[in-house]
Amino acid sequence: MEGLPATVAEQLQALIYSDRAVAYLQVDAELNLVAAGGHLAAYGLSGVHLGEPAAEQAFFLEGLLPPVETPFSVPSVELASGRVADLYFLLDEEAWWVVLLDVSAERDSARRMQQKAYDMTLAQEREVLLNRRLEAANAALIAARRELEASHDALADAHAQVQAQAAELAAWNKTLEERVAAQLTEIERMSRLKRFFAPALAELIVSSGNERILESHRRDIAVLFCDLRGFTAFAESAEPEEVMALLHGYHAALVPLIQEFGGTLDRFVGDGLMVYFNDPLPCPNPAERAVSLAIAMRDAVAALAQNWRRHDYHLGFGIGIAQGFATLGQIGFEGRFDYSAIGTVINTAARLCEVAKDGQILVTSRIATAAAEMADISEIGPLTFKGLRRPLAVSNVETLKVPETSEVA
Amino acid sequence: MAAAVQKKICMLGGFSVGKTSLVKRFVASVFSETYLTTVGVKIDKKTVELSDRVVNLILWDLAGEDDISSLRMSYLRGAAGYVLVADGTRPSTLEVALSLRRRVEAEFGALPFVLLLNKNDLQEQWAIGDGEVENLRRDGWWVRSTSARTGEGVEDAFGALAERVAR
Repeated sequence: MEGLPATVAEQLQALIYSDRAVAYLQVDAELNLVAAGGHLAAYGLSGVHLGEPAAEQAFFLEGLLPPVETPFSVPSVELASGRVADLYFLLDEEAWWVVLLDVSAERDSARRMQQKAYDMTLAQEREVLLNRRLEAANAALIAARRELEASHDALADAHAQVQAQAAELAAWNKTLEERVAAQLTEIERMSRLKRFFAPALAELIVSSGNERILESHRRDIAVLFCDLRGFTAFAESAEPEEVMALLHGYHAALVPLIQEFGGTLDRFVGDGLMVYFNDPLPCPNPAERAVSLAIAMRDAVAALAQNWRRHDYHLGFGIGIAQGFATLGQIGFEGRFDYSAIGTVINTAARLCEVAKDGQILVTSRIATAAAEMADISEIGPLTFKGLRRPLAVSNVETLKVPETSEVA
Repeated sequence: MAAAVQKKICMLGGFSVGKTSLVKRFVASVFSETYLTTVGVKIDKKTVELSDRVVNLILWDLAGEDDISSLRMSYLRGAAGYVLVADGTRPSTLEVALSLRRRVEAEFGALPFVLLLNKNDLQEQWAIGDGEVENLRRDGWWVRSTSARTGEGVEDAFGALAERVAR
């Protein structure tokens, strides 16, 4: 220790030796331990044997011998004993020296500082990581919120669409209801009209849309009354079912004929029927039509009567026809309307029917005149009727005239 | 069985990746939750019995350095192989391991080494992609997944490296 007084240098050496727990090992060219000394125990080296491989006894020397350069040092080496040493490799002419200096205190001090620095760095790393996770979670939340908003918008659109469809549906429904109501009204009108008129006529009235035709008015009409002779007695003696069955067959035979000839069926009264022509729609030759219908009815009932006689029902059939002005239109009140005719001509036809014998078609002179060319008609003479002031010239329609044919030479 | 050989192995990696814990698990079969940073180097010895020989591994547990320029190359002098350690929950430590490996190879040439992806018990925090690891394996790296806490993969990894350095 150049420059130091001998006493100071000596004391200093003693101080370093003691304070730094100096120990040494000497290794020869064969890497065997040839000397050892100092504070060997402090480093767990008190049991080393001279003359044996150094690295097998001081295993921290493994790989370091022989040193590729000297002096060479390895700082801050914690050995198995727990001591921390700086290792110094020195060379002299014969061997290498390995000197150990205790730096445990310095290492502990450095570790405390290092520990704090690393703890702080780790905390920062954790914070960064946590922030990244928070940002990711936040981004996911924002994305989820956007998705939710998009879903909400889609839902609102769907709701609006459904409402629009519902409104459209309601409109269609209303239209449908109106159409149904209109059709129902038409059906009601139709069914009402069909009670009075031939179906074709009823449809004509409905399709024309002109129901003013049903309002009260006066018109010249041909009126036909018919009923069965002896029906009252039959109805009293027969079972009701038999009576109803007979009437059903009777009506079934006559009603189609009325429709066929274009008559208006005014009403059924038991076995009696009232039919007129030229109303509500005018028709040509109402008298001739009435006579034609009467003949057809008489023939139809004659056919039925053959069957009735087999059941021992003895019933005749009489008809009365008159022509004249009558008042026609709907009579009745809301909920129950009838289309009917009122006038003397109705009574006249009814009286003629009353007096007609089985097979007779009694007509007034006006009818007889109008139908003279189409039927054989015989005069019966003037008859007086209840409710009529003057006697009435009455004729009976016999048969339809056979059309004249010219002989072929 | 052949006579025991002695090999110096260095533990390298960023700080707090678990190098000291891996050595403790391997040498003493213990694990401590307390993190105590290493300053300088700590040396331990572990005898490994291979199929045909006994190897004394002298384990140099080096202080973790994120700044690889701070690595004292004098610690690696005479090493027969090394263990690169990365923390599977901190991707930056894999980068540190890759840099350390480049530096060691530049200084000492190709030495046997194994890369340990440590802390595999923390699967929920695992942050190193399988693809990255696959790429390393394709490049011929020995990569092992370990946990110093549970001991999973530790014995196998050191044993495999012992086999390679003892050849």
